[in-house]
Amino acid sequence: MNRRTFESVEIGDELSLTRGPLTEPIMMRWSANMENWHRIHYDRKFALEHEKLPDLLVNGSFKQQFIMTMLRKWAGAEGWVWKVKFQFRAMNLVGETLQVWARVADKKREADYGLIELELGIKNNDGKESTPGTALVALPYKDGARVRYPFVPPKIKSDK
Amino acid sequence: MRQFIGVESDILSAPEPVESGAVRRYAQAIMDEDPVFADDGKAQGQGLPGKVAPPLFPVQSFRRAFGTPDQLVERAADPDFDGSVGSSMRGLPELPTAGLVRLNGGSEIELLRYARHGERISIQARYASITERETSKGPMIIVVIETSYFTTPDDPIMRVRSTSLLREPQK
Repeated sequence: MNRRTFESVEIGDELSLTRGPLTEPIMMRWSANMENWHRIHYDRKFALEHEKLPDLLVNGSFKQQFIMTMLRKWAGAEGWVWKVKFQFRAMNLVGETLQVWARVADKKREADYGLIELELGIKNNDGKESTPGTALVALPYKDGARVRYPFVPPKIKSDK
Repeated sequence: MRQFIGVESDILSAPEPVESGAVRRYAQAIMDEDPVFADDGKAQGQGLPGKVAPPLFPVQSFRRAFGTPDQLVERAADPDFDGSVGSSMRGLPELPTAGLVRLNGGSEIELLRYARHGERISIQARYASITERETSKGPMIIVVIETSYFTTPDDPIMRVRSTSLLREPQK
């Protein structure tokens, strides 16, 4: 795997991950795994008739995994996904295929590593955005050491 | 409900240490079978001390401990019980929101390291804010919970600020 460095990243670079179709078994496996018994994720009758939802909902806790997987794979073994922030603004329903995306919005130099600011989100089959957010990923400098593990947040105000 | 703002849980430990079977099931469920989650050598090759859990594994580590009340059984006759038992899993008192629909509004996550196999994760949570807002679908209660994950207070793993949205069921 190529080493991703601060210098190798350009503002506007894009990353993506596809997950789906998210079928009932795939969603049930996640609910069972986390022992989340919230019925809107697996009990269609309850979701539709009691909660008046259009169908079973993809768990927010499930969607955030996809964001983290995409960012980790992009950061590589020498980088670190430090902060991720997102809002679940729209529902994703069972059967959808999700397009997880991010775009480099800014770069900042810190003493020991560079910080990459990304905009991100999750779109469904129709291109509707459900999960807008942002992330900060630390990457090593081209001639520098890998980002220290465990991660040490920057202590001083960053300069571009 | 404002009296809950600032209420903090005791330090609560996960019912079990991070173990390989749970990590395998978790990694398979999130469809990310990265070898660092299962193989010490692969993990060490990537600069980690040994095999680790997926980054958000600690968030889902707080399950009902053996011998504690089982809400699924206790509320089996309640047709309005939506099955969610989230707040109690973080040691916080339940909010009086029975009958309201609860939706996940989002999160802010700060990740400092991965949980390691064999270590026991602890948390401390607090109700950071509880506000009410009028929306096109009626009034909505917005609950923000801040949770710190650690093994000891000076060995943090991650911090999460999560938002829940509660509203009346739609007619």
